[in-house]
Amino acid sequence: MIDFSVLGGYLGAGKTTLLNHILAHNQGVRFALLINDFGAINIDSKLVTSADNQQINLANGCVCCTLSDGFFEAIEALTQLAPTPDHIIVEASGVADVNNLAQYGHGHGLHLASVIVVADAETIEQKSNDKYVGQTVLRQLRAADVVVLNKADLCDPETLNARIDWVTQVSGGAPTLPATRGAISVDTLWDKHPRLKVEGEDHHHAHESYLSWSFQSQALQSTAGIEAFVAALPVEVIRAKGLVQTDDGDLEVQVVGRRRSLNTTEQALEQSELVVIGLEDQLQTEILDKLARQHLTSF
Amino acid sequence: MTKPEGVHAHHCIARRGLVSYHRRVTDKRRSALNIIIYSAKKVITMNPSNPEGTHVAVRDGIVLGVGNLAELAGWGEYQLDTTFEDKIIVPGFVEAHAHIMAGGMMLLPYMGFFERRLADGALAPGIKSYDQLIDALRAEDAKLTDPIEPLVAVGFDPIYFPDQPRLSRQQLDKVSTTRPIYLHHASGHLATANTAMLESNGVTKDMQVEGLGRDANGELDGELREPPAMSTCKTGMRIVQFSNSTEEALRDFGALARNVGITTCTDLAGASILVPKLLGKWLEITAEDAFPMRIAQYNIPAMPGAAADFDAVAEQFVALQKQATNKLRFPGVKFVLDGSIQGFSALLKSPGYFSGEDHGQLLTIPEQFKDWLTPFHKAGLNIHLHCNGNMTQDLAIETVEQVLRTDPWPNHRHTITHAQLTTQAQLRKMANLGLCVNFFTNHLWYWGDQHYEFTVGPERANALEPCASALREGVPFSIHSDAGVTPLGSLHTMWCAVNRQTPSGRILGETEKISAYEALRAVTISAAYQLHLDDEIGSLEPGKQADFAILTEDPLTVEPIAIRDIEVWGTVLGGIKHPAASKS
Repeated sequence: MIDFSVLGGYLGAGKTTLLNHILAHNQGVRFALLINDFGAINIDSKLVTSADNQQINLANGCVCCTLSDGFFEAIEALTQLAPTPDHIIVEASGVADVNNLAQYGHGHGLHLASVIVVADAETIEQKSNDKYVGQTVLRQLRAADVVVLNKADLCDPETLNARIDWVTQVSGGAPTLPATRGAISVDTLWDKHPRLKVEGEDHHHAHESYLSWSFQSQALQSTAGIEAFVAALPVEVIRAKGLVQTDDGDLEVQVVGRRRSLNTTEQALEQSELVVIGLEDQLQTEILDKLARQHLTSF
Repeated sequence: MTKPEGVHAHHCIARRGLVSYHRRVTDKRRSALNIIIYSAKKVITMNPSNPEGTHVAVRDGIVLGVGNLAELAGWGEYQLDTTFEDKIIVPGFVEAHAHIMAGGMMLLPYMGFFERRLADGALAPGIKSYDQLIDALRAEDAKLTDPIEPLVAVGFDPIYFPDQPRLSRQQLDKVSTTRPIYLHHASGHLATANTAMLESNGVTKDMQVEGLGRDANGELDGELREPPAMSTCKTGMRIVQFSNSTEEALRDFGALARNVGITTCTDLAGASILVPKLLGKWLEITAEDAFPMRIAQYNIPAMPGAAADFDAVAEQFVALQKQATNKLRFPGVKFVLDGSIQGFSALLKSPGYFSGEDHGQLLTIPEQFKDWLTPFHKAGLNIHLHCNGNMTQDLAIETVEQVLRTDPWPNHRHTITHAQLTTQAQLRKMANLGLCVNFFTNHLWYWGDQHYEFTVGPERANALEPCASALREGVPFSIHSDAGVTPLGSLHTMWCAVNRQTPSGRILGETEKISAYEALRAVTISAAYQLHLDDEIGSLEPGKQADFAILTEDPLTVEPIAIRDIEVWGTVLGGIKHPAASKS
């Protein structure tokens, strides 16, 4: 399975900036980016190993391609690259229906990791009233698993907080992460389905404003308990993941914003582990403690 | 098929009382008998200076003139061709919005609600019930010998079965439980698959693809909505896509046009003709004398949603124009700005849709659109802008205005195509800007009742395709079929503009009816005008192409309601006869 993310957002929100940030912090993941415009991606030429009109290969194993034929054909071509990419990210056009594009992540050997929508903190609310694209902008926000509220530095704190509340509300509760020039903890943007590691670097988030909460236990969990715990996670949770031993077998937990999934896993587990991540000033760990006491075993 | 009718005219030396000796010598230096004069019951020219005649003279595929025999005989030694003696000759019809898909569809069995004439002249009956659908698919199933070859059929439209449950895989399973079946809908946005099609493509109920139709229990019902879901059944969708790029599709496209009197047809973005191999094929096939039409090919500069280096693309298109021939032209480009009204994906001005959920969406970015159009406009390429919704049309008009402020080009003839919900204010502005409009009048018949009852409601349904208003406001207009969305057929398209009648018998907007003459203008010289080809085709005048539609009755004098029933003998293209396939 190849991970698949859709990156949407209206013109000027900072999609390309975020893509550059992702490429620069790829942490060994071979990304294949399907992008709108080669001109804008501005890759450090020292990293480029080869390039033609259709494809740029980077030294870190990532590739960038443009959409020339149909979308379906382009996705299929990416899945057939050698070596196979780990994660395909599609940069949607500014007016694209991101929910529609995300549907390609449910077949063709792909796993839908996330729908990321970048919004301009300064202008998003105004844009939502535009006679031509207002509805499209709102539709994109509603489809987002996570919203990156970019250009946060251009707003005063009061405005920024109001904007976060507004986005959270119109998106129906999508986690809204303020960012400046796309700088964001890349790990919060998707669930890395086949390469889940609870230990190691994933615990440490470079950005000081993130807070993580974790749970470990040798005790067997109940499936119903895990389901209830995941379902009850508060909206402030941006990202949660875990591997859990249950009475029905082992489960992998993935939460990216509102996208929540429990799947059986073949990985050999020695214990159950869960990590929950949110913004420092939003995530209340006492609530997580309480949920764990209610639904998880031997806390 | 009938054999081409020979020239059963007698060779005859003209009575040439008016011809000077000098003239006669000049004629003798030309090859003998290369002037043909066709006699007709009536020749309608669409040239206001010389509206009609009884004969038309042609030399080397070019019209010498229209008049009576005595007037034309002065051109020199000629051959009189009486094949059309009891027929009406009108300028070959020009279809300014159709697609190669019309030909591609011919390669796949037709399951549409309305009967449809096929390229070979046979009539595919309309499918009026699910039982008929199952029977028709069974008949197609029986024709295939390989037991697992997918059966792919086209043209079905659930909008005509509002009282039935949605067509499901279970119904298609009645045709076959082993052969994969993919029924492509008329809208192009939907398909229905049977169980074997779903299973052979590994589509299961666990797949979370939105657009996979489900029943109340969450089981797949076989409906595939929009391309992501449709592409899950790759083996079906591929066949639909592939059919358009075949040689047979192009030949059938030509045959369909010939059968209805069309001599110049657009492929308004359909073939990926910039692919060199396909371009070569098109140049080769269209050049054949037997290929019965001229094509005006308009490319889409970039897939909707994708950006491109439009300066470079414009240069490519200008270079492409250097390869143009008499029968394959590249006048401009097309941009698709929104979806469809019946799909609720066209962007409407307030107060929006009458019923149903609004999925209106632009396929272009307003802030960038001027930059997209400018390179083509500056390169002198004609631009056709697909706008089904009138909000989308506002954007198109506004953007053309911006482009013209920076780069004036009074003769641009850029065209808003479809333009179904055009408002009066938009027409006034379009007139000022020199914009043309190409109305989708076939909608009045094919979806008029649905527009009245569901999509836009009575008042705006009556104002659909406002031809009379365009005429009054001075906006040059054409009318079109958007084939294969609806069938090619300029007489039908005229009929819609003149009668504005729906299948239930409603008249949509008495005040927007136009005369048969204005409708004929719209499918001849006015269509040619929008393609920048009106000095070559679209009317019968000295020096223009000898392109005729040969009709059995006069469309200007028959009862308006009978216009679409006029039999078409076939066409003459550059002086070559192309009889229609017989309707056996």
